[in-house]
Amino acid sequence: MPLPRSARALRLEFKRNAVPYALPLLAAVFYFDTLRTGAGFAPIWTVRASAITDHMLFEFSAFAAGLAAWAGSREGRRRTTDLVASTPRAPWARRSIALAGTLCWLLLAFLAGVAALYIQTAVHATWGGPPLWPVLVGAAGVTVVTVIGFTCGVLFPGRFTAPLVAIGVLVLSQTGFRHALGVTASSGTYALLSPANSPPVVDAGVYHHVAPDLSIVQVMFMGGIAVALVGMLGLAPELRQLASAGGRAPLRAALAGSGSWLLRAVAAVLVACGVVVSWAAFALAGTAKPDPVGGWEIPALHSAASDQPVPVTQDCTSSSGFQVCVHPAFSFYLHDLAAAFDPVAAEIAGLPAAPAGAKEVASVSGGQDVQSGTAANPPVFEFTAEHVGPMLGQFNGYPDPAGWAQGFQQGLLDAFLTGRPPHPGPVPILLGPAQQAVEDALLTAVGSQPLNPAVRSAGVSAAARRFAALPASARHAWLAAHLTPLRAGAITLAQLP
Amino acid sequence: MTAADVFKPPTAPVEATHPIPAGIRLAWLHLRTRRVPGAVLALAVCGALLHAALRWHWAFNTGPYAQQVPMIIEAGAAAVIAVTAHSPFGETERATGRSLPYLRLLTAIGLTGIAILALQLGAAGENLNDGILALARNVIGFTGLGLACSLVTGGLLAWTLPIGYMAFCQYALLEAWTAPGTWPVRPPADRGAWICACAVFAAGLLLFTIRGPRTRLSDGS
Repeated sequence: MPLPRSARALRLEFKRNAVPYALPLLAAVFYFDTLRTGAGFAPIWTVRASAITDHMLFEFSAFAAGLAAWAGSREGRRRTTDLVASTPRAPWARRSIALAGTLCWLLLAFLAGVAALYIQTAVHATWGGPPLWPVLVGAAGVTVVTVIGFTCGVLFPGRFTAPLVAIGVLVLSQTGFRHALGVTASSGTYALLSPANSPPVVDAGVYHHVAPDLSIVQVMFMGGIAVALVGMLGLAPELRQLASAGGRAPLRAALAGSGSWLLRAVAAVLVACGVVVSWAAFALAGTAKPDPVGGWEIPALHSAASDQPVPVTQDCTSSSGFQVCVHPAFSFYLHDLAAAFDPVAAEIAGLPAAPAGAKEVASVSGGQDVQSGTAANPPVFEFTAEHVGPMLGQFNGYPDPAGWAQGFQQGLLDAFLTGRPPHPGPVPILLGPAQQAVEDALLTAVGSQPLNPAVRSAGVSAAARRFAALPASARHAWLAAHLTPLRAGAITLAQLP
Repeated sequence: MTAADVFKPPTAPVEATHPIPAGIRLAWLHLRTRRVPGAVLALAVCGALLHAALRWHWAFNTGPYAQQVPMIIEAGAAAVIAVTAHSPFGETERATGRSLPYLRLLTAIGLTGIAILALQLGAAGENLNDGILALARNVIGFTGLGLACSLVTGGLLAWTLPIGYMAFCQYALLEAWTAPGTWPVRPPADRGAWICACAVFAAGLLLFTIRGPRTRLSDGS
């Protein structure tokens, strides 16, 4: 059975489109910029999916805008507009096929890239599944950029259109990214509409669902622009007629030109619908406010169900009696964590309020970062994937395994020596001199290098060496007797044995 | 009417009374076929875009992110130059004389100079991170890539390689790569980066001058 005429035209467009020639180059850039960047993130679905909008969309925008402008300017560039005007197809239908062919190629390439990124993540992730909203936002981004490029190509055909549109779109993307990085509750609305942003906290989507409010608004905004521009393509001949008359011809006369009234009416309706949808998205983004778990909430779109914590049973291990628990999403860190905690836990075991275990908790609560500390009754050291003592981003990976382990040991001792409970707020202040000396001594005793020894005062370093030189039983006995005044900051360096 | 009337020789063109030197006319026709006046206008647009980006702080002022937007515009300027490689006459033009390589060479060098000048004017009075030297180096390197690409893709699609390499360099910038091959992300005083950029430009220019861009019966789809 022969194919319908439109399908035949689309098949021809697939064959002659320029996008496949650029795919090897696009794949190379994708490998470096998206795949390698994603591989550097912790294997958490939400975190790795952020590479789609932050990195992948950038390289796709460059090629999508340029290649679409190239396809859109085909008739004008080859000066065949008059020739094809005599064909029975309306110009809008003709251009729609060229646009559809280009867009299909680009979306296929985009989805193939997403598949590569998600397969790579699936190999390493221990919990959760692929989030779809970043894919939808990315697909909407590729679509709108393609339509922008194509429309520019139709309206301004020429050999310079493709590169100029490509860099224009990239500059726009980077400007949005720059504003999105510094976005606050009082920032401009357009900053929230930028798909590119900084990577989310490492446990985003782990303890609470990521609210899709902002993604919905972004898809609406970009989709609205795309629909309006597709409608504008239907009015392109009339717009060109207006432009060639220098704007002197009345709009009504231009619209009453050649072609079907029905097509022009549909085109005008599409333009109006697109503008309304984009405007509505812009207005909705203006009502966004930070939600308690670190995302953005848009009241008109927000579902209370997404605020509920994700039910999960933590993964635990207690090889030496000190139980370490983490969210299953981070279970690939569990045994390394236990190995880091065990020696320090053994040093302080049996002391008053010494933690009997360590547990990972959500890194954002009430809109604020949660800092690590010792929860009372039973005493458990609670830390987050983002904050352990003064260290940040511990679960983003460990380029230096020794430093990574010492960060957790230091965090545990910080909480033990100050008696500080876990709390939301800024990073806690440093330890007092005697507390610091004891911490350095205990770290030295378990074979770890105290962090930043260069910034310690000579007095702290000397006291730490003195205390570390004591037998383990003597250190333990002194700590049992002096822990309360040490926590209160009432012990001086000279009083350390 | 007789055949003599039909075969009457045409009247002399008006230019004959005020002859333009053949070399200048040839050069001007070459520039017009390559849309060089349009390219100069496009380069001016790039300069204006850089000026606007710096003036209204579309980019970051310091740090690795500060190079991102200028690098995009530098690659755009180079892409514009690469696109001028296309000839509407294709292979037939190659049989017309020996001056074509010289015309290609001078056009490419001249447009590169104009691109640097346009971007420098765009950055005048504003705080361009890494300064004019890095800007000139990057334009030179990206242009070399574009000219080399025109040998494979033809002139009209030669913008793809500079833009693609720029997208890769955005990654290299954030990852703080130090290889001279990633010259756009290196500081202006980096000798290796200069050598790399100049080598790429020289190679691209040489190949473009000798072989010219790829020509096809159609200009691609």
